[in-house]
Amino acid sequence: MERRNRMPQDDIKANLREFITENFLAFAEDKTFADTDSFMEKGIINSTGVLELLQYLEETFEIAVEDDEVIPENLDTLNNLSAFIEKKSSGSITDKE
Amino acid sequence: MHFSKDILLIDCEKEESRICDFIREQIKNMRREGAVIGISGGIDSALAACLCVKALGADKVQGLILPEKESNPISQEYAWKLAKNLGINTEEIDLTPALEKMGTYARRDEIVREIFPDYDSSFRMKITLPPDILARDAFNFFTLTLQSHDGQTFTQRLSKKALNGIVSATNTKQRTRMIYLYLYAEKLNYLVCGTTNRSETRQGFFVKFGDGGVDIEPLAHLYKTQVYQLSEHMGVIPEIIARAPSPDTYSIPVSDEEFFFRMPLTKVDLLLYAWENQVPVPDICRTMELTDTQVKRVFRDFESKEKASSHAREMPATLTD
Repeated sequence: MERRNRMPQDDIKANLREFITENFLAFAEDKTFADTDSFMEKGIINSTGVLELLQYLEETFEIAVEDDEVIPENLDTLNNLSAFIEKKSSGSITDKE
Repeated sequence: MHFSKDILLIDCEKEESRICDFIREQIKNMRREGAVIGISGGIDSALAACLCVKALGADKVQGLILPEKESNPISQEYAWKLAKNLGINTEEIDLTPALEKMGTYARRDEIVREIFPDYDSSFRMKITLPPDILARDAFNFFTLTLQSHDGQTFTQRLSKKALNGIVSATNTKQRTRMIYLYLYAEKLNYLVCGTTNRSETRQGFFVKFGDGGVDIEPLAHLYKTQVYQLSEHMGVIPEIIARAPSPDTYSIPVSDEEFFFRMPLTKVDLLLYAWENQVPVPDICRTMELTDTQVKRVFRDFESKEKASSHAREMPATLTD
C-alpha cells in the first residue's frame, strides 16, 4: 500500500502563483498580486481562464472539481485556491494496492 | 431618478418616432436606398423589421430568412408570417450547404466526439451556463448536454479548448448570415440593419462580425423589456412576442436565460439599469427584494462579461501617427 504524497500548502501556493503568472499575466506590466486579491475583480482571470485553471488543478493535483465547487469561494484568490486544493487533496487520499 | 420596477417603461410613440428618424438619418448619411434585415423569427429582428418598414416604407426593406438544419422550424414559420404581414420582399436561403462546406458541423462534432466517443449526428445538443445566478453563485462555465435518439441525456463541463472549438465552429452560422446580408445590401445599395438590444450589446451577447457585423443598430439603446413594450405597440405578431427568446443555434432548444443571462430578463434589465446608473445597492435590494450579496454577485457577472466582450464592441485597434 502507498499513500500519495501531499504537497505542503506553501508549495501549492508557489505552484499556483507560477501557473497564474505565466498563463494569465504573461503580457501584463505588473505581474504582482496579493494572496487575497480577487482574480475576477483584478481582471487576472476571466471566465475562460477559470476553465483553464480548472484543468490545471485537476491534472496537477489529481483532484476532481465538481460543478458545484466552481465558485469564487474556492477559486477567486490564491488563498482560497490553495485552501481548496488542500481540502480536496486530503479528501482524495486513497489506499492503492 | 427614483429606482422602481417601472423605471424601464417607455413612451412607445415617442420612441418609435425617434428610432425611425435615426434610421432615415443613417440611410441619408450612408447614401443608401433602403435596409436589409435578417428575420430570425425572434422578437428583436421582428421589431427592427417593423421599424425599418415604418421609417422607409415596405418597398425599401429587403427581408432575408436564413435558417440552417439545426434551426427550430417554428422560427422560419414565424419569420415568414411576420414578413408577409409587413409586406416586404423576402427571400429564404438555407445556410446548411454553405456551413457543411465550411465544416461548421464537422469541426464541432469532432470536438464533441473527443468528449463523447459514441456521439453521432442522431444526437441533439446544447451548451448552457450554470442556472440561476441569483439563487447560487458560480463562475461562468459551460456545460455540454447531449440527448441521444432514445432520450438518454449526457452532460459534461467543457474545457477551454472544447468550448472555444465548439463556439468558434457555431459562430460561423452568424458570420455566414452576415455574408448573405451584405451580398443583398451591396447589390441593392441598402444598409444592413442590426437587431442587437442593449441587454445583449453591453454584455457581449452577439458574435463579432456575425450578428454584430451590421451598419446600424437601432435597438442597441433599448433593454430587452423595452423591446417587448415597443413590439406590442408596433403590432409584432403575438406568436413572436409569446415565445421565449433563444439564440436558436443548437439543436436542443435553449433560452437566452440558460445560454447567457442566468436569470429572467426582467431582472437582467432592472439590474443592468441599476449597474449602469450606479443606483445605491440598498435601493436595488429594497425595490427588487434581493440581498446585498445577490446584487453584488450579478454586478460581478456584468463586469466580467463586459470586460470579456469589450474587444467585440471596438473598431480594430490601430497605431496612431
